[in-house]
Amino acid sequence: MSSSFDSTSALIPAVARGDLTAFEAAYDRYSGTLYALLLRILGNAEDAQEVLQETFVKAWTNAKTFDAVRGSEVAWLISIARSKGIDKLRSRKIRSDRENDAGREISIQSSYVDKTTGADNAILSQERIAVRAALAELPEAQRIALELAYFEGLSQSEISDRLKEPLGTVKTRMQLGMKKLRDRLQAFR
Amino acid sequence: MTHEEYQEIAALDAIGAASPEEERDLREHLGACAECRRVRDEYAEAVTLLARGLEPVAPPDDLRERVVAGEQTDNVVDARRRFGGSAWWLATAAMLFLALWGWRELAMRVEREKYSTQQAEIRRLAEENARLGQRNDKLSAEMAALASRDTRQIALMGQQVAPAASARVFLEPEKRRAVVFFTNLPANAKDKSYQLWIIAGDKPRSAGVFDVVNGNATISVENLPVSTEIKALAVTLEPRGGVAQPTNTNFYVMGKAAL
Repeated sequence: MSSSFDSTSALIPAVARGDLTAFEAAYDRYSGTLYALLLRILGNAEDAQEVLQETFVKAWTNAKTFDAVRGSEVAWLISIARSKGIDKLRSRKIRSDRENDAGREISIQSSYVDKTTGADNAILSQERIAVRAALAELPEAQRIALELAYFEGLSQSEISDRLKEPLGTVKTRMQLGMKKLRDRLQAFR
Repeated sequence: MTHEEYQEIAALDAIGAASPEEERDLREHLGACAECRRVRDEYAEAVTLLARGLEPVAPPDDLRERVVAGEQTDNVVDARRRFGGSAWWLATAAMLFLALWGWRELAMRVEREKYSTQQAEIRRLAEENARLGQRNDKLSAEMAALASRDTRQIALMGQQVAPAASARVFLEPEKRRAVVFFTNLPANAKDKSYQLWIIAGDKPRSAGVFDVVNGNATISVENLPVSTEIKALAVTLEPRGGVAQPTNTNFYVMGKAAL
């Protein structure tokens, strides 16, 4: 399968050369995914917007460190956003707030006004559907362990406590889940 | 440690769940192993699928303006339109002013970014310190479990499938925890895990899964049933990651509690 993520990997190298148009294009293409990720991690729009801004500032200043051989630019941007989101989560101890607010649905306007081209949007949507299908193939126990680590930044022992499962079991589930994700990745390269 | 074991740590590292010790060992190995670096990069890419499956949410439009500094550019264009060719110098001055302002803003953001990175590193080190402290506490507790006067020992003997195997359980009844040392168990296949079962009541209860390297393994078990309820302990080989109930009765080691 061809991948639009790979085919659009020219944006960040252009950003590294100081191309503001490429920077704007990268924002238009990826900000929706990154903002959704940060909302999932942080649970509130104000923090998510602050971290999204920091993410793009870091992308602008560190674009020269992006290496297309090591991974796609969307993965590079997601890694920056996720790392900053988890840092924010920990520094502001939002985790305890989120636990207090458990069960409260966060209302997020999902009227996605896409500034990417129609063709780009169609490809990205197709890929999202394919990604969700791949995630749906993961056994629930593995997916839950991975999501707790990825979206809440929990350690192995914290996940073990949360799920009331032995540490070894949690570790094995995460390793198996990651192997399956890595296998599925081949379809998106 | 084998490459495969490093790659298992790489899987955890990619999702931010490797322990500080595992992270340190992995970093040292990656410096000298291109293949494991490639696998680590693949895991780093793969974990982003969790984010790529989310439904995108449009951030507010004014955020875009702040991020890409488009407002300054728009202002310059507007100024040119308003003043026309006769006041080109005013538009140029405005452009210079806004360019300088933009660079100042960018420089401030870069400094904030550096500060934020340093703060994150301080937090990471503080967390690592806390985790090392927890590990130290855990090791101390395990040592206490071995040395305590109240600690009871249970010997598990090798069974038909592994007659040379054995295990020793050091059980602290009051704390309801145990440390178990296994010896001479055959190495488990990649798709299998050993699983320790506690027989207390009607059904066996899982006490954890483990892998065997060089014949040996050690596991810690917390939240045990009260010691008087424990009738026996046994180990079976199960599908990787463990199962809710044993799928077979080929016990590798087994022993009665006799408490």
